[in-house]
Amino acid sequence: MTTIRRRLIDWVLTGFLLLIPALVLRASLSRGEPSAVDETVLRITAPLQAAVSWMADGVGSVWSGYVALIDVESENRELREDNERLRKDLASMSRKAYDVQALEELALVKKRIAADMIGARVIGAPLTPFRVSRLRIDRGASEIQPNMAVIAGTGPVGVIEKVFGDYADVLLVSDTRSKIDVVVKRTGRRGFLRGTGRDDSYACTITSLELASQSDQRAQVGDEVVTSGVGLIFPPGLLIGKITKLDGDDGMLQKVEVDPSVDVSQVRAVMVLLAPPPPADPDAKSKKRSEPAYGTRAL
Amino acid sequence: MRTGTLVIVAYLACVVVATVWLRLPTSIIRDSVPDVGALTAAYLGLTARGHVAPAVGGSVVLGYLVDLISGTPPGLAALVLGLVCLIARAAQQRLMVRGTAMTMGFSAFVALLVGVVSLAVRMVYGVPRAGLVVDLQHIALVTLATAITGPLVWRGCRRIDAAFARTHRERDAALEGLAP
Repeated sequence: MTTIRRRLIDWVLTGFLLLIPALVLRASLSRGEPSAVDETVLRITAPLQAAVSWMADGVGSVWSGYVALIDVESENRELREDNERLRKDLASMSRKAYDVQALEELALVKKRIAADMIGARVIGAPLTPFRVSRLRIDRGASEIQPNMAVIAGTGPVGVIEKVFGDYADVLLVSDTRSKIDVVVKRTGRRGFLRGTGRDDSYACTITSLELASQSDQRAQVGDEVVTSGVGLIFPPGLLIGKITKLDGDDGMLQKVEVDPSVDVSQVRAVMVLLAPPPPADPDAKSKKRSEPAYGTRAL
Repeated sequence: MRTGTLVIVAYLACVVVATVWLRLPTSIIRDSVPDVGALTAAYLGLTARGHVAPAVGGSVVLGYLVDLISGTPPGLAALVLGLVCLIARAAQQRLMVRGTAMTMGFSAFVALLVGVVSLAVRMVYGVPRAGLVVDLQHIALVTLATAITGPLVWRGCRRIDAAFARTHRERDAALEGLAP
């Protein structure tokens, strides 16, 4: 009887113990915030949690500050080597990409100009303090000769000045000794493009540019200047640059300044015109029957 | 005294686990928190001697402390651990947890049981929940972590039991996992 009674009390107590959290849960859900008892217990247990947290932080900082850094030195060395290799690769690829771009531009030049020409690589570009004074290319006496036109992807660069051995020097458009027959594209008026020889820019001037009586026929800032084709050095119609400044006139001739379209400091490859393009065929628009290339001619 | 010691040690273990797991690297590991409280409640139920009320009381107190650590509504873990203790007590006569594999399996079962009971209690009381998929994923991760850490926790509990043994025989039995 006593055992049954004890068991009964035990189970009643158990049920009561389970009832407490059920009621506490309901109360806490309806209240929505910790009760005074919860806060008291939290206040008592908080130092313990703080201490454990402090210890875990300490162990964690020892781990991250020492143990985890054991392999960092070798890893750092490997990363430096990788970085150096990748930088070299990047530089090489950038150079190749630049070369490819220059060659593509030259291919376009070749396609645009129906003249006999040869490609050349720029191997030297001596500098005055702020600009390139001339270019040296890797084509020599066996292939080219002085006064041949040198063209880059964006326009004329200059003419061959000297040829020695396997190399040649290019007289730049911006040199004071350079003289190219040009046309202002909008007005059709001719002049001679000469370099100013300034140390800080590649600017050129046009001399002998006739001053038109009508103002709209005069050269203006922004006008394009192209080669005239006179002199049989440069083919006609090559863009040389744009007029950037008007320097007034002397009553007969207009003075203008031109900024060349070619940035000589960036040129890596050029085309040398071996022979001027043939004159335009006057009968190009009328169709003619070609002579048979082989066999017998019909009577 | 024995139950009180188990509850206090389990509470300390819960604090340590909660603090350490927060600092673990990946989120999937951080979510896989071993349920030390559930293991202790199951141990209390499985090893309850004579009266069940002290074991359930200890589990409820432990659950309440776990509630305060984990930020769940006070009473939720207390009720769940009390019920788990009661279920473990019911399995006492039919189950003997010995050996690593058995301990891990039982630990996984306990964690799963706690997850399901907790889910049921939340639904009954209308406690806000994440989606069912998230809940199930969380239960799976906790079950796995609890199964892995189970043998360690049980060994610790048996050590405490052995410390409270009155005779050498009881001590050996406790260490062997033959208590009560």
